[in-house]
Amino acid sequence: MTRTLRDLRPVRVVGVGLHPYQKPGDTPYTALGVHAVRAALADAGLAWVDIESAYTGTATTAMGMSRLMYRHLGATGIPMAQVENASASGSTAFRQACIDVAAGLVDIAIAVGVDKPLKIAMPQGPAGVRDLSGSRVAPFTHFALLANRYIYEYGATPEQLALVAVKNSRNGALNPHAQRQRARTLEEVLAPPLISGPLTRLQCCPVGEGAAAAIVASDDAIRRLRLDAARAVRVLSSASRSQTVYRGENFDAALTRETTKMALDDAGITPGDLDVVELHDAFTIEELLYIEAMGLAPAGQAAADLAEGQFDIGGRVAVSTSGGLLSMGHPIGPTGVGQICEITAQLRGEAGPRQHPGARTGLAHMVGVGAVCVVHVLSTSA
Amino acid sequence: MKVAVHRGLYDPDDGVPVLLGTRCDACGSTFFPPLGVGCEVCGAGPDQLGSTAIAATGVLHSVATVHLYHGDDIAAPFAIGEVQLDAGPLIRCTLAEPLDLDAIGRRVEGHWVVARVDADGNEVIEPRFALIGDAAAGAGAS
Repeated sequence: MTRTLRDLRPVRVVGVGLHPYQKPGDTPYTALGVHAVRAALADAGLAWVDIESAYTGTATTAMGMSRLMYRHLGATGIPMAQVENASASGSTAFRQACIDVAAGLVDIAIAVGVDKPLKIAMPQGPAGVRDLSGSRVAPFTHFALLANRYIYEYGATPEQLALVAVKNSRNGALNPHAQRQRARTLEEVLAPPLISGPLTRLQCCPVGEGAAAAIVASDDAIRRLRLDAARAVRVLSSASRSQTVYRGENFDAALTRETTKMALDDAGITPGDLDVVELHDAFTIEELLYIEAMGLAPAGQAAADLAEGQFDIGGRVAVSTSGGLLSMGHPIGPTGVGQICEITAQLRGEAGPRQHPGARTGLAHMVGVGAVCVVHVLSTSA
Repeated sequence: MKVAVHRGLYDPDDGVPVLLGTRCDACGSTFFPPLGVGCEVCGAGPDQLGSTAIAATGVLHSVATVHLYHGDDIAAPFAIGEVQLDAGPLIRCTLAEPLDLDAIGRRVEGHWVVARVDADGNEVIEPRFALIGDAAAGAGAS
């Protein structure tokens, strides 16, 4: 008999920390990662010696990078491993940390996402896969094709698409850890340079460097170490799936629909229960597609709902309060862990000027090349 | 002499473009680009997979004009199309020329286009897709 995360002992996020996402520079990844870990430890009121296992979400830096980073916190000999799952690397690292605690293997685990964009390589070449479009279809063109199909199918407008970036830039301007911290107007978002299809530069996420850390703990550890239980956020569910055969249906949306449903079912809630959502908005069209795939809006309705402000901070459900990948940035490994940091801050009521009122339940969603999808549901519930 | 841009995906000596895909004898699925290691649908091994000729015809599913491109095999802007082939697979391909969104849903077919001439004087050709009946399509190759 299999069990869900909620059937096992409770797992709670007790500490989160970030290194700001930024343009690629000379900062060693070790400094990025340790900065985020120290911030998470301080947030939790823990010391490094309390951490019993570590997972590093990374995809673009180097192999075997964990120990070279964690040694700067004191070499305690704990198990550590890199987790590579494309854009979902950080989300998968967080899932592994949760599983460690839920299963009772450890009482406290940490997920750290850290990356520098040093070697971004797609798997098709080594896999021997060739097609007619080859390198002519970069990720932005993959999503430009989806954007034009969406516009054709539902009568949405390029302006409605661009409003996703307007909203997320407004949120990112309130986030000191965001790579893009400037609120943009619709005219600015629509302005050249054109990238592909209806997508302009500001409708594509920046890929930079940074780090994020999230510490999860059992109730035993929270009691034993006298952590602040009132600030601990329950991880209600963790769902992870990979692409199957969809016969022409958009696989990113289909995979999101399946994985989100699993996560919501495991958590025992419905889409209408969600207050805050962080999703994989690497390109504006993705936010609309995934909002619909998650069941937050009927098919073809997300653009209109967004234009009405339903996904704003203070709206029906706040989407990408951090600024999302479009404004907070997408340094790959850190991104999924950074979402957990944002949801945790929102559910604690500690998100400052970008706080969504009354946030009690949140969802974090990432897709990754392959394709894979990872979704977590967090809650203030016991 | 004609040489394919994408070796193994079509025969450049065919009169009209025909795509070389894979058919699974175990479950009947058709794939393009071809699969050689195993069937994505049922997991059958290579002994169940065979090459199959696929007509380069279908329905345009989406389009995008690419403005940013760092490769040197084609100059931006150029157009990419998503085509639901009559044989089943949904493919991405280069279009003979940019198409508006109102072309989505219309029938398209592949035409030979000379991408370049190599150092030996060979025509390096590839199929690019255009609306069926579009007189401009295929003007780049004979």
